[in-house]
Amino acid sequence: MNKPSENKKSGNGKRWSSRSVGSNWQHQIFYCLIRFGGRRAAYLLLYFVVAYYVLFSGLARKRASYYLRRRFPNSRGISRLWHCYRLILELGKALIDRAVVGILGPESLDIFLGEPEKLLKLRDENRGMIMMTAHVGCWQAAMSALGYLNRPVHLLMRREDGDIDRHYFEHAGLECPYQIIDPTGYLGGTLEIVAALKKGEIVSVMGDRLLGSEKSTTAVDLLGGQVELPFSAYKIASVTGAPIVVLFNFKDGSASYHLQVVKIIRVPELRGRSADTFNPYAAEFSASLDRFCQEHPYQFFNFFDMWLKQQTENKDT
Amino acid sequence: MDIKTKLKQVLIEELNLEDITIEEIGDDEALFGEGLGLDSLDAVELVVVVQKHFGVEIKDMEEGRPALQSINSLAAFIEEKQK
Repeated sequence: MNKPSENKKSGNGKRWSSRSVGSNWQHQIFYCLIRFGGRRAAYLLLYFVVAYYVLFSGLARKRASYYLRRRFPNSRGISRLWHCYRLILELGKALIDRAVVGILGPESLDIFLGEPEKLLKLRDENRGMIMMTAHVGCWQAAMSALGYLNRPVHLLMRREDGDIDRHYFEHAGLECPYQIIDPTGYLGGTLEIVAALKKGEIVSVMGDRLLGSEKSTTAVDLLGGQVELPFSAYKIASVTGAPIVVLFNFKDGSASYHLQVVKIIRVPELRGRSADTFNPYAAEFSASLDRFCQEHPYQFFNFFDMWLKQQTENKDT
Repeated sequence: MDIKTKLKQVLIEELNLEDITIEEIGDDEALFGEGLGLDSLDAVELVVVVQKHFGVEIKDMEEGRPALQSINSLAAFIEEKQK
Protein backbone atom coordinates (compact mmCIF):
# COMPACT_ATOMS: atom_id res chain seq x y z
CA MET A 1 0.00 0.00 0.00
CA ASN A 2 2.83 2.27 0.80
CA LYS A 3 3.77 3.33 -2.69
CA PRO A 4 4.89 5.60 -4.16
CA SER A 5 7.34 6.52 -1.53
CA GLU A 6 10.35 8.56 -0.81
CA ASN A 7 12.92 7.15 1.55
CA LYS A 8 12.62 9.08 4.72
CA LYS A 9 14.35 9.07 8.01
CA SER A 10 12.21 7.64 10.72
CA GLY A 11 12.21 8.91 14.25
CA ASN A 12 15.21 6.84 15.26
CA GLY A 13 17.26 8.15 12.36
CA LYS A 14 17.25 4.93 10.32
CA ARG A 15 16.10 4.99 6.73
CA TRP A 16 12.46 4.09 6.43
CA SER A 17 11.38 1.94 3.53
CA SER A 18 7.94 1.30 2.10
CA ARG A 19 8.83 -2.20 0.99
CA SER A 20 6.61 -5.00 2.14
CA VAL A 21 7.59 -6.78 5.35
CA GLY A 22 6.54 -10.13 3.89
CA SER A 23 8.70 -12.31 1.70
CA ASN A 24 7.83 -13.41 -1.80
CA TRP A 25 6.64 -16.90 -0.82
CA GLN A 26 4.40 -15.43 1.88
CA HIS A 27 2.78 -13.21 -0.75
CA GLN A 28 2.38 -16.21 -3.03
CA ILE A 29 0.39 -18.06 -0.36
CA PHE A 30 -2.11 -15.21 -0.27
CA TYR A 31 -2.30 -15.08 -4.07
CA CYS A 32 -2.98 -18.86 -4.17
CA LEU A 33 -5.69 -18.54 -1.55
CA ILE A 34 -7.37 -15.77 -3.56
CA ARG A 35 -7.17 -17.85 -6.71
CA PHE A 36 -8.61 -21.02 -5.20
CA GLY A 37 -10.62 -19.81 -2.21
CA GLY A 38 -11.49 -16.23 -3.01
CA ARG A 39 -11.17 -13.13 -0.91
CA ARG A 40 -12.60 -14.64 2.28
CA ALA A 41 -10.02 -17.41 2.36
CA ALA A 42 -7.23 -14.85 2.11
CA TYR A 43 -8.86 -12.72 4.80
CA LEU A 44 -9.06 -15.74 7.10
CA LEU A 45 -5.33 -16.30 6.95
CA LEU A 46 -4.77 -12.58 7.27
CA TYR A 47 -6.42 -12.43 10.71
CA PHE A 48 -3.82 -14.83 12.08
CA VAL A 49 -0.86 -13.32 10.25
CA VAL A 50 -1.69 -9.84 11.51
CA ALA A 51 -2.18 -11.15 15.05
CA TYR A 52 1.26 -12.72 14.87
CA TYR A 53 2.89 -9.51 13.66
CA VAL A 54 1.11 -7.35 16.21
CA LEU A 55 2.04 -9.64 19.10
CA PHE A 56 5.58 -10.53 18.12
CA SER A 57 6.91 -7.78 15.86
CA GLY A 58 8.04 -4.73 17.75
CA LEU A 59 8.82 -3.09 14.42
CA ALA A 60 5.23 -3.47 13.19
CA ARG A 61 3.90 -1.99 16.43
CA LYS A 62 6.40 0.83 16.29
CA ARG A 63 5.56 1.74 12.70
CA ALA A 64 1.86 1.76 13.47
CA SER A 65 2.37 3.75 16.66
CA TYR A 66 3.44 6.94 14.90
CA TYR A 67 -0.07 7.43 13.59
CA LEU A 68 -1.98 5.69 16.37
CA ARG A 69 -0.56 7.81 19.16
CA ARG A 70 -1.84 10.87 17.28
CA ARG A 71 -5.19 9.42 16.36
CA PHE A 72 -5.79 7.71 19.70
CA PRO A 73 -3.69 9.79 22.11
CA ASN A 74 -5.31 8.36 25.22
CA SER A 75 -5.00 4.69 24.35
CA ARG A 76 -2.38 2.57 26.08
CA GLY A 77 -1.59 -1.08 26.59
CA ILE A 78 -4.22 -3.53 25.36
CA SER A 79 -6.29 -0.74 23.84
CA ARG A 80 -3.32 0.48 21.77
CA LEU A 81 -2.58 -3.09 20.76
CA TRP A 82 -6.17 -3.50 19.55
CA HIS A 83 -5.96 -0.30 17.48
CA CYS A 84 -2.68 -1.57 16.04
CA TYR A 85 -4.33 -4.86 15.09
CA ARG A 86 -7.27 -3.11 13.44
CA LEU A 87 -5.02 -0.76 11.47
CA ILE A 88 -2.66 -3.44 10.16
CA LEU A 89 -5.60 -5.73 9.43
CA GLU A 90 -7.23 -3.05 7.28
CA LEU A 91 -3.94 -2.49 5.46
CA GLY A 92 -3.75 -6.22 4.81
CA LYS A 93 -7.31 -6.25 3.50
CA ALA A 94 -6.54 -3.37 1.16
CA LEU A 95 -3.54 -5.27 -0.20
CA ILE A 96 -5.62 -8.40 -0.65
CA ASP A 97 -8.40 -6.42 -2.35
CA ARG A 98 -5.86 -4.97 -4.74
CA ALA A 99 -4.69 -8.47 -5.61
CA VAL A 100 -8.30 -9.68 -5.87
CA VAL A 101 -9.03 -7.08 -8.55
CA GLY A 102 -6.08 -8.32 -10.58
CA ILE A 103 -6.58 -12.04 -10.04
CA LEU A 104 -10.36 -12.35 -10.08
CA GLY A 105 -11.17 -9.31 -12.18
CA PRO A 106 -12.44 -5.79 -11.52
CA GLU A 107 -16.04 -7.01 -11.13
CA SER A 108 -15.01 -8.67 -7.87
CA LEU A 109 -14.82 -5.29 -6.19
CA ASP A 110 -17.51 -2.61 -6.13
CA ILE A 111 -16.20 0.92 -6.24
CA PHE A 112 -18.74 3.63 -5.68
CA LEU A 113 -17.83 7.12 -6.81
CA GLY A 114 -19.90 9.89 -5.30
CA GLU A 115 -20.87 12.83 -7.55
CA PRO A 116 -19.17 11.60 -10.74
CA GLU A 117 -20.56 14.58 -12.70
CA LYS A 118 -18.36 16.89 -10.63
CA LEU A 119 -15.26 15.35 -12.17
CA LEU A 120 -16.76 15.48 -15.65
CA LYS A 121 -17.26 19.23 -15.30
CA LEU A 122 -13.67 19.69 -14.19
CA ARG A 123 -12.44 17.54 -17.05
CA ASP A 124 -14.32 19.70 -19.52
CA GLU A 125 -12.45 22.79 -18.36
CA ASN A 126 -9.51 21.30 -20.30
CA ARG A 127 -6.91 22.46 -17.83
CA GLY A 128 -6.04 18.95 -16.76
CA MET A 129 -6.67 17.68 -13.26
CA ILE A 130 -4.39 16.98 -10.38
CA MET A 131 -5.91 14.11 -8.44
CA MET A 132 -4.48 14.48 -5.01
CA THR A 133 -4.93 11.48 -2.83
CA ALA A 134 -3.16 10.02 0.18
CA HIS A 135 -2.15 6.64 1.48
CA VAL A 136 -5.69 5.78 2.40
CA GLY A 137 -7.97 2.89 1.52
CA CYS A 138 -7.00 1.03 -1.63
CA TRP A 139 -6.07 3.92 -3.85
CA GLN A 140 -4.90 1.85 -6.82
CA ALA A 141 -8.19 -0.02 -7.06
CA ALA A 142 -10.01 3.26 -6.58
CA MET A 143 -8.12 4.86 -9.44
CA SER A 144 -9.43 2.15 -11.70
CA ALA A 145 -12.88 3.73 -11.29
CA LEU A 146 -11.80 6.85 -13.18
CA GLY A 147 -11.96 5.25 -16.61
CA TYR A 148 -15.25 7.01 -17.35
CA LEU A 149 -13.36 10.30 -17.57
CA ASN A 150 -11.81 9.00 -20.77
CA ARG A 151 -8.52 10.78 -20.22
CA PRO A 152 -5.03 9.33 -19.80
CA VAL A 153 -4.03 9.05 -16.16
CA HIS A 154 -0.46 9.65 -15.04
CA LEU A 155 0.70 8.39 -11.69
CA LEU A 156 3.59 10.00 -9.91
CA MET A 157 5.13 7.00 -8.26
CA ARG A 158 8.30 5.07 -7.76
CA ARG A 159 8.71 1.43 -6.96
CA GLU A 160 11.51 0.72 -4.58
CA ASP A 161 14.25 -1.69 -5.59
CA GLY A 162 13.40 -5.19 -4.44
CA ASP A 163 9.75 -4.40 -3.76
CA ILE A 164 7.72 -7.56 -4.29
CA ASP A 165 4.22 -6.14 -3.90
CA ARG A 166 2.30 -6.50 -7.13
CA HIS A 167 -0.11 -3.99 -8.59
CA TYR A 168 -3.53 -5.25 -9.59
CA PHE A 169 -2.78 -5.06 -13.31
CA GLU A 170 0.38 -7.15 -12.81
CA HIS A 171 -1.70 -9.96 -11.31
CA ALA A 172 -3.88 -9.88 -14.41
CA GLY A 173 -0.87 -9.83 -16.72
CA LEU A 174 -2.02 -6.55 -18.20
CA GLU A 175 -0.09 -3.54 -19.35
CA CYS A 176 0.01 -0.79 -16.78
CA PRO A 177 -3.12 1.30 -17.45
CA TYR A 178 -1.37 4.39 -16.18
CA GLN A 179 1.58 6.33 -17.40
CA ILE A 180 4.09 6.35 -14.61
CA ILE A 181 6.06 9.51 -13.85
CA ASP A 182 9.14 8.86 -11.76
CA PRO A 183 9.57 11.54 -9.08
CA THR A 184 13.27 10.75 -8.94
CA GLY A 185 13.64 11.37 -12.68
CA TYR A 186 14.81 14.52 -14.44
CA LEU A 187 13.62 17.58 -12.52
CA GLY A 188 11.41 15.40 -10.37
CA GLY A 189 9.09 14.65 -13.26
CA THR A 190 7.70 18.17 -13.14
CA LEU A 191 8.07 18.77 -16.87
CA GLU A 192 6.11 15.61 -17.62
CA ILE A 193 3.41 16.66 -15.17
CA VAL A 194 3.06 20.10 -16.75
CA ALA A 195 3.02 18.57 -20.25
CA ALA A 196 0.23 16.15 -19.25
CA LEU A 197 -1.87 18.87 -17.66
CA LYS A 198 -1.47 21.08 -20.70
CA LYS A 199 -3.04 18.30 -22.73
CA GLY A 200 -6.01 18.17 -20.35
CA GLU A 201 -4.91 14.86 -18.83
CA ILE A 202 -5.04 13.61 -15.26
CA VAL A 203 -2.07 13.46 -12.94
CA SER A 204 -2.40 11.60 -9.68
CA VAL A 205 -0.13 12.59 -6.81
CA MET A 206 0.10 11.78 -3.14
CA GLY A 207 -0.41 14.83 -0.99
CA ASP A 208 0.86 13.18 2.16
CA ARG A 209 4.39 12.37 1.04
CA LEU A 210 7.21 14.18 -0.58
CA LEU A 211 7.28 14.92 -4.30
CA GLY A 212 10.22 16.62 -5.91
CA SER A 213 12.99 18.29 -4.00
CA GLU A 214 13.04 18.06 -0.25
CA LYS A 215 13.00 21.78 0.34
CA SER A 216 9.56 22.01 -1.26
CA THR A 217 7.71 21.29 1.94
CA THR A 218 5.58 23.32 4.25
CA ALA A 219 4.52 22.71 7.84
CA VAL A 220 0.82 22.14 8.49
CA ASP A 221 -1.27 20.68 11.30
CA LEU A 222 -2.38 17.08 11.20
CA LEU A 223 -3.97 15.24 14.11
CA GLY A 224 -2.75 17.73 16.66
CA GLY A 225 0.85 17.93 15.51
CA GLN A 226 2.83 19.53 12.73
CA VAL A 227 3.87 17.61 9.64
CA GLU A 228 5.84 18.61 6.59
CA LEU A 229 3.82 18.17 3.43
CA PRO A 230 4.99 18.75 -0.14
CA PHE A 231 3.76 21.87 -1.90
CA SER A 232 5.04 21.21 -5.43
CA ALA A 233 1.59 20.17 -6.65
CA TYR A 234 0.11 23.50 -5.53
CA LYS A 235 2.82 25.36 -7.38
CA ILE A 236 2.12 23.32 -10.52
CA ALA A 237 -1.60 24.01 -10.14
CA SER A 238 -0.85 27.71 -9.80
CA VAL A 239 1.22 27.74 -12.96
CA THR A 240 -1.05 25.58 -15.11
CA GLY A 241 -4.46 26.57 -13.74
CA ALA A 242 -5.31 22.90 -13.19
CA PRO A 243 -7.74 22.23 -10.35
CA ILE A 244 -6.62 19.99 -7.52
CA VAL A 245 -9.18 17.32 -6.74
CA VAL A 246 -8.71 15.85 -3.28
CA LEU A 247 -9.86 12.29 -3.68
CA PHE A 248 -10.01 9.81 -0.81
CA ASN A 249 -11.37 6.29 -0.69
CA PHE A 250 -12.28 3.94 2.11
CA LYS A 251 -13.48 0.39 2.48
CA ASP A 252 -17.19 0.50 3.20
CA GLY A 253 -18.08 -3.17 2.84
CA SER A 254 -16.48 -6.59 2.53
CA ALA A 255 -16.05 -6.12 -1.22
CA SER A 256 -16.63 -2.44 -1.78
CA TYR A 257 -14.89 0.89 -1.62
CA HIS A 258 -16.31 4.37 -1.56
CA LEU A 259 -14.44 6.96 -3.58
CA GLN A 260 -15.10 10.51 -2.49
CA VAL A 261 -14.25 13.91 -3.97
CA VAL A 262 -13.50 15.56 -0.66
CA LYS A 263 -12.44 18.96 -1.85
CA ILE A 264 -11.52 20.93 -4.93
CA ILE A 265 -8.61 23.26 -4.37
CA ARG A 266 -8.14 26.13 -6.80
CA VAL A 267 -4.76 27.77 -6.62
CA PRO A 268 -4.62 31.21 -8.25
CA GLU A 269 -1.59 32.41 -10.19
CA LEU A 270 0.91 33.16 -7.48
CA ARG A 271 4.37 34.56 -7.85
CA GLY A 272 7.30 33.03 -6.07
CA ARG A 273 7.85 29.62 -4.66
CA SER A 274 8.15 30.09 -0.94
CA ALA A 275 6.58 27.58 1.40
CA ASP A 276 4.49 30.34 2.97
CA THR A 277 2.88 31.13 -0.36
CA PHE A 278 1.47 27.64 -0.74
CA ASN A 279 0.95 26.81 2.92
CA PRO A 280 -2.79 27.68 2.94
CA TYR A 281 -3.45 25.15 0.19
CA ALA A 282 -1.44 22.40 1.88
CA ALA A 283 -3.37 23.24 5.05
CA GLU A 284 -6.65 22.71 3.18
CA PHE A 285 -5.44 19.27 2.17
CA SER A 286 -4.24 18.35 5.66
CA ALA A 287 -7.55 19.50 7.17
CA SER A 288 -9.33 17.17 4.75
CA LEU A 289 -6.99 14.34 5.68
CA ASP A 290 -7.51 15.07 9.36
CA ARG A 291 -11.28 14.79 8.95
CA PHE A 292 -10.84 11.58 6.99
CA CYS A 293 -8.74 10.06 9.77
CA GLN A 294 -11.37 11.03 12.33
CA GLU A 295 -14.11 9.40 10.28
CA HIS A 296 -12.11 6.37 9.10
CA PRO A 297 -9.41 5.79 11.70
CA TYR A 298 -8.21 2.48 10.28
CA GLN A 299 -7.92 3.55 6.65
CA PHE A 300 -4.79 5.72 6.82
CA PHE A 301 -1.64 3.80 5.98
CA ASN A 302 1.44 5.91 6.53
CA PHE A 303 3.76 3.83 8.66
CA PHE A 304 6.51 6.33 9.33
CA ASP A 305 6.92 9.26 11.65
CA MET A 306 5.38 12.18 9.82
CA TRP A 307 5.53 14.18 13.02
CA LEU A 308 9.28 14.49 13.15
CA LYS A 309 9.29 17.77 15.02
CA GLN A 310 7.47 16.23 17.91
CA GLN A 311 9.53 13.08 18.16
CA THR A 312 10.71 13.91 21.67
CA GLU A 313 7.09 13.77 22.86
CA ASN A 314 5.04 10.64 23.47
CA LYS A 315 7.83 8.15 23.03
CA ASP A 316 5.60 5.24 23.98
CA THR A 317 5.06 2.62 21.36
CA MET B 1 18.11 43.42 -26.27
CA ASP B 2 19.18 39.99 -27.51
CA ILE B 3 17.38 36.81 -26.49
CA LYS B 4 20.03 35.71 -24.01
CA THR B 5 19.98 38.99 -22.13
CA LYS B 6 16.21 39.08 -22.15
CA LEU B 7 16.13 35.48 -20.89
CA LYS B 8 18.42 36.35 -18.01
CA GLN B 9 16.36 39.39 -17.12
CA VAL B 10 13.15 37.39 -17.21
CA LEU B 11 14.70 34.64 -15.09
CA ILE B 12 15.77 37.10 -12.44
CA GLU B 13 12.40 38.87 -12.36
CA GLU B 14 10.02 35.94 -12.69
CA LEU B 15 11.91 33.44 -10.56
CA ASN B 16 12.74 36.03 -7.92
CA LEU B 17 16.47 35.36 -8.12
CA GLU B 18 17.59 37.81 -5.51
CA ASP B 19 21.17 39.09 -5.41
CA ILE B 20 21.96 37.92 -8.94
CA THR B 21 22.61 40.26 -11.83
CA ILE B 22 22.40 39.63 -15.55
CA GLU B 23 26.19 39.78 -15.79
CA GLU B 24 26.60 37.05 -13.19
CA ILE B 25 24.67 34.45 -15.18
CA GLY B 26 26.99 32.66 -17.59
CA ASP B 27 25.69 31.69 -21.00
CA ASP B 28 26.90 28.11 -20.56
CA GLU B 29 26.20 27.85 -16.86
CA ALA B 30 23.93 24.94 -15.92
CA LEU B 31 20.50 26.23 -15.01
CA PHE B 32 19.69 23.38 -12.62
CA GLY B 33 21.63 21.81 -9.78
CA GLU B 34 25.18 23.06 -9.73
CA GLY B 35 25.44 26.36 -11.52
CA LEU B 36 22.50 28.70 -11.21
CA GLY B 37 20.92 26.32 -8.69
CA LEU B 38 17.38 26.20 -10.02
CA ASP B 39 15.27 23.21 -9.05
CA SER B 40 12.26 21.27 -10.27
CA LEU B 41 9.77 23.92 -9.19
CA ASP B 42 11.71 26.60 -11.00
CA ALA B 43 11.49 24.38 -14.08
CA VAL B 44 7.71 24.54 -13.90
CA GLU B 45 7.84 28.31 -13.73
CA LEU B 46 10.42 28.45 -16.49
CA VAL B 47 8.22 26.53 -18.91
CA VAL B 48 5.45 29.06 -18.37
CA VAL B 49 7.77 32.05 -18.46
CA VAL B 50 9.23 31.01 -21.81
CA GLN B 51 5.74 30.70 -23.25
CA LYS B 52 4.61 34.01 -21.77
CA HIS B 53 7.58 36.13 -22.82
CA PHE B 54 8.70 34.42 -26.01
CA GLY B 55 5.54 32.73 -27.24
CA VAL B 56 7.31 29.39 -27.35
CA GLU B 57 5.87 26.24 -25.85
CA ILE B 58 8.02 23.53 -24.33
CA LYS B 59 5.72 20.63 -24.98
CA ASP B 60 7.38 17.66 -23.35
CA MET B 61 10.50 16.14 -21.88
CA GLU B 62 12.07 15.43 -25.27
CA GLU B 63 12.04 19.14 -26.01
CA GLY B 64 12.52 20.35 -22.48
CA ARG B 65 15.49 18.37 -21.37
CA PRO B 66 18.02 19.59 -23.95
CA ALA B 67 16.54 23.08 -24.03
CA LEU B 68 16.73 23.69 -20.32
CA GLN B 69 20.43 22.98 -19.90
CA SER B 70 21.73 26.55 -20.07
CA ILE B 71 20.97 30.05 -21.32
CA ASN B 72 22.70 29.17 -24.57
CA SER B 73 20.60 26.04 -25.16
CA LEU B 74 17.37 27.74 -24.16
CA ALA B 75 18.05 30.74 -26.38
CA ALA B 76 18.86 28.44 -29.31
CA PHE B 77 15.62 26.53 -28.70
CA ILE B 78 13.57 29.75 -28.64
CA GLU B 79 15.23 31.06 -31.79
CA GLU B 80 14.59 27.79 -33.58
CA LYS B 81 10.91 27.77 -32.57
CA GLN B 82 10.40 31.40 -33.49
CA LYS B 83 11.59 30.85 -37.07
